[in-house]
Amino acid sequence: MDLNYTVSQVAPIALLPFFAFVINAFIVKRFTKLAVAISCTAIFLSFVISAFIFNDFFFNVYSADYHIHRVFNWFNLDSSLGLMPFKMGIYIDNMTAVMLLMVSGAAFLIHLFSTYYMADDKRFGRFFVYLSLFTSAMLGLVLSENLLSLFIFWEIMGFCSYSLIGFYYEKEGAGNASMKAFMTTRVGDVFFLLGIVAVWSVVGSVSYVDIYNAINQGLLSGNVEFLGLSVSLATFAGVCIFLGTVGKSAQVPLQVWLPDAMWGPTPCSALIHAATMVAAGVYLSLRIFPLLELGGLLPLVAYVGGITAFGAATIALVQTDIKAVLAYSTISQLGYMVLGIGVGSYNASFMHLITHAIFKACLFLSAGSVIHSLHDHHTHAHVQEMPRMGGLRKKMPLTFFAMMCCTLAITGAPLFSGFVSKDRILGDALLLAVDAGGAWWGPTLLGFGGALLTAFYMFRMMFLSFFGEPRDKDLYDHTKVEKFSINRNFPLLVLSLFTLGLWFSGSFTGQGLVKVPGVENKEWFKTTIVKPELSTLGKFRTYSSDDFSQQPTPVQTWEKSKYDSTYGLSEEEAHHIHHIHHIGAIISVFIFLGGLFLAYLMYIKKSLNPSVFVNRFSGWYKALLNKYYFDDLYIGKMIQKGLLPLNNLLSNFDSKVYDRYFIDGWATVTRQLYRLSNFIDSLFVDRVLVDGTGTSVRFFNVILRTVQNGKIQFYIFVLFVVLASYIYRVTNF
Amino acid sequence: MHRLLDYILWLPLLGALLILFIPSQKKEAIRWSALGTTLLTFILTIVLYLGFDQSVAGMQEQFSVKFPWIEQFNIFYSLGVDGISLPMILLTGLLCFLCVLSSWTVEKSVKAYFALFLMLECSVMGVFMSLDFFLFYVFWEVMLIPMFFLIGVWGGENREYAAIKFFLYTFAGSVLMLVGMIALYFLSGKNVDSFNILALQGGKFSNEILNVFGTTLSFSKFFFVMLFIGFAIKVPVFPFHTWLPHAHVQAPTAVSVILAGVLLKMGTYGFLRIAFPIFPEASVYFKEAIAWLGLVNIIYGALCAMAQTDVKKLIAYSSVSHMGFVMVGLAAMTIQGTNGAVLQMFNHGTSTAMMFLMIGVLYERSHHRWIVRPDGTKGFGGLYTQLPVFSIIFIISMFASMGLPGLSGFISEALIFLGIYQEFTTITVLAVIGLLIGAAYLLWMFKRMFFGEVIDSVKDYSDMNAREIFYMIPLCIAVIFFGIYPSPVLNIMKGSVGSLVELLGRFQ
Repeated sequence: MDLNYTVSQVAPIALLPFFAFVINAFIVKRFTKLAVAISCTAIFLSFVISAFIFNDFFFNVYSADYHIHRVFNWFNLDSSLGLMPFKMGIYIDNMTAVMLLMVSGAAFLIHLFSTYYMADDKRFGRFFVYLSLFTSAMLGLVLSENLLSLFIFWEIMGFCSYSLIGFYYEKEGAGNASMKAFMTTRVGDVFFLLGIVAVWSVVGSVSYVDIYNAINQGLLSGNVEFLGLSVSLATFAGVCIFLGTVGKSAQVPLQVWLPDAMWGPTPCSALIHAATMVAAGVYLSLRIFPLLELGGLLPLVAYVGGITAFGAATIALVQTDIKAVLAYSTISQLGYMVLGIGVGSYNASFMHLITHAIFKACLFLSAGSVIHSLHDHHTHAHVQEMPRMGGLRKKMPLTFFAMMCCTLAITGAPLFSGFVSKDRILGDALLLAVDAGGAWWGPTLLGFGGALLTAFYMFRMMFLSFFGEPRDKDLYDHTKVEKFSINRNFPLLVLSLFTLGLWFSGSFTGQGLVKVPGVENKEWFKTTIVKPELSTLGKFRTYSSDDFSQQPTPVQTWEKSKYDSTYGLSEEEAHHIHHIHHIGAIISVFIFLGGLFLAYLMYIKKSLNPSVFVNRFSGWYKALLNKYYFDDLYIGKMIQKGLLPLNNLLSNFDSKVYDRYFIDGWATVTRQLYRLSNFIDSLFVDRVLVDGTGTSVRFFNVILRTVQNGKIQFYIFVLFVVLASYIYRVTNF
Repeated sequence: MHRLLDYILWLPLLGALLILFIPSQKKEAIRWSALGTTLLTFILTIVLYLGFDQSVAGMQEQFSVKFPWIEQFNIFYSLGVDGISLPMILLTGLLCFLCVLSSWTVEKSVKAYFALFLMLECSVMGVFMSLDFFLFYVFWEVMLIPMFFLIGVWGGENREYAAIKFFLYTFAGSVLMLVGMIALYFLSGKNVDSFNILALQGGKFSNEILNVFGTTLSFSKFFFVMLFIGFAIKVPVFPFHTWLPHAHVQAPTAVSVILAGVLLKMGTYGFLRIAFPIFPEASVYFKEAIAWLGLVNIIYGALCAMAQTDVKKLIAYSSVSHMGFVMVGLAAMTIQGTNGAVLQMFNHGTSTAMMFLMIGVLYERSHHRWIVRPDGTKGFGGLYTQLPVFSIIFIISMFASMGLPGLSGFISEALIFLGIYQEFTTITVLAVIGLLIGAAYLLWMFKRMFFGEVIDSVKDYSDMNAREIFYMIPLCIAVIFFGIYPSPVLNIMKGSVGSLVELLGRFQ
């Protein structure tokens, strides 16, 4: 196969769903079924193209450096120095190829599931319109070659997220949630834009490759001065762009929007708020990894990730809504990815992004499958409260199977994907803590602690909903027994198949299931996804970009990747790394078992009563129920007590003080002035000068008779003379 | 073809004259002739766009028309277009056409309304085409007359106050401009080029000195400030902005659209055409102050907008905020900043016009504009459910207004940020907060009006009719198309903008 793709072969990945969106936007009202079919077909075709690309990257080429980089001028500005091009384009490397397959695959399965879940909804078609737009934006983001076009797709996804969270717009709560989601992410986004601008100002482009090269050449070593501060440019830009990640990936302190995002239909939660959009934040941070490294921000990143991973897990402990548990677990897992970036565990962090996308999408779809089946006949609403569930595994065995696989994956059960990826992040964190010590222990311990909580709350969720006796007998009896149907169960089963660790690590033992001809090794993920460290950025100078209109550069021969993260290290050092990783893995296994056991004791055996803990730690319990009072702080204090009164104050100042006195006040000033001049005129000119000369009344009579001759020109003339003499007087005083 | 500018300029006035000869009972005939006139004008502006040679840089060179007008004072009737005025002329042509459509439901003295409206179009076109300072001033002033009557007669309950306020405020600015113009006339030697905007450009007055009240001042700085205030009132730049909320709230829909879409841009156009190129060294001297004023506009306008309970007032303050971005972009005096500012003038013209048109559509159904009524009850609620088509178009205009990437406002804002960052980092860092609040007030307004249960007073609203949808479509297409592909506008302006920036650069 020809490995030099033309643009027309690659661009349809994002364009097909976009065309589906455009077509559906017009036909959805009349031809709902057709619109749905178009959306599903489009994303399926995208998936097929992505699969071809994936095949090329990993089964044909298998090189750490293989990439496709094609650009075109979006628009130009002229300057005396020549053209200032603003470029757009596509950049596909191994990471992109994996992302494309994951996004299009997950999106296709979720589209399929949505045809089951949303079928009875009165806005069935409209849901797919948004879904198509979203998918095309996400795929566009993945294909982007620079931060600016990434930002554009990023915001379009934000718009889709806004629309889908507010999908049930009859409900006031949906409106609040959608606004909160958009605004909270917008906080990160505006700083992200600022970061882009800061990078642009020195690099002259925001293409990833150009940024890497600029860092390599030391272009970003200068300082930025603002508000009297002087900060290194890399730190400034790094913090700003990382804030984009914090907003989009719901990291502390901007995590507040994601739980509310659950107002949207469940499939959209699966796609947007679990698998793809929230992961895009992590993807961004991975792309700018050298910038974070140069800016010295990795400890900050690690702490943000660690605190998020642990804090969100604690909140998940007390949730009773099945979707809320999953929402907090999403925040927590995103925290692990960010933690992974912070500790330099680039590869594992990206792997966790992929594994999490798969098992979390599956968890949400399974939850959707549960919620959709539980129909309360009194309120005509679907039930998502876990206290009303219980024993559901008999009613829906297939959903139970899928959800169990995913739970094992997310909790880090050995052999499952979550174990492979999360354990590596924690292993790297542990390694760093052991070697560098000090502050690195913080995120590491938070990470391990969060893993324990994860195991506990996930099994709590499973036990409460699928095990034990049904707690709401009426609801249980009205629930039909699950029968296999393609659009309901096929996505679940496919996704649960990919919760196995061997897809990612290579095999059960971590060695080569995916055999690549000519490569002895090993693990495809580890050998192809290479961290762009400061020390290795030099290679990007050889990365060429071709214009869309030109023929691609002739096929190079790409060396098969033999990349090994321990390459160049002494035997001893390598042994040390493996040793620490083994210890980490063993701890992880015990942690998993510990969490499972605790949940078992509380919710199956019931030998531990949760209410004991609730009473013992009532203050903490309240804090957890109130999500650590973040909403209270942001909405209650900062917005309602700070921003809105400030707005009212300014607005009142503007209309009632400034406008009334300083602007309309001029009217008063003018009125006083004319009163004054009128006074002068009548007193001095008229009474003293005119009337006062009473002795010559007759003389004046003559004059006045002459003057008041009714000729308008004469009046004006007099007026003019008087005015002129008046001005002459005034100016000569 | 070479008299194209003449046709575009005088056609609306001809239309107004024609309407004066139609008996006032024949309302349909009046409306159709107004529509025909504006449509023809719009088509001519497109012809102008197609005939415009993008490769010519420089200021005001194409399609020029020049005759002596008042020869004793060397005043010429002199017209021309360049890359900065052409987008504005296109915008005026488009918006006037759409506004006539949206004014179809005006029933009060239809004849006078459309005649005045066409007169307004003529004067606005004149401002954007004039190459002679005196002619520019005349059109600038003539524009006040139709505006005064349009607000004062067809406006809301407090229309007289708003009309007088608008008139006096703008007039005060014009007087300062008049003084500047006369001073330039005398200083440049009362010769053939003394009112010639092109000939005055280039920093010829850098070294002139002025004695006022016994102190010696730089001529250019003194009169730059005068011209600045004159134009700043029109933009409006803080602290000269308070006429805007009154005028917008009281004006009828179409006048609001023209006011926000075109008239505000006359102020920034004045900077680009007159104040900056004639006094480049003074512009450079004051650029940081201008940038700070622009920043105040952005933040202050946005914060005030958030407090409003009247939708139209909210959008009026949002205009203050958005024009702040234009000011900041102009003050950067860099390629990106100035291109961004001119592009923002165009994009804000389309997006804010959409907002006002949509609110006009809503007002025809509700006859009020309260988000929250003064007694604290909801003015609207559940519009999303009640008016689905309206809601979708409203969403497009709202997101275009807040600069969502993919819609037109984003590119201009991004360019402005790129431009200003290189000059004033602090201002850039603070200005992004404006983007944040900009999204907040719009989304909050949207949430309160469109989400939730349908409230009783909303239940009998009908969705948009064909005419209303028809006049929104061109703007929807514009905000989406220029958001994806801004080159058609950027290509015409970048040559002229480049030479202006180059001129200013010589005085940095």
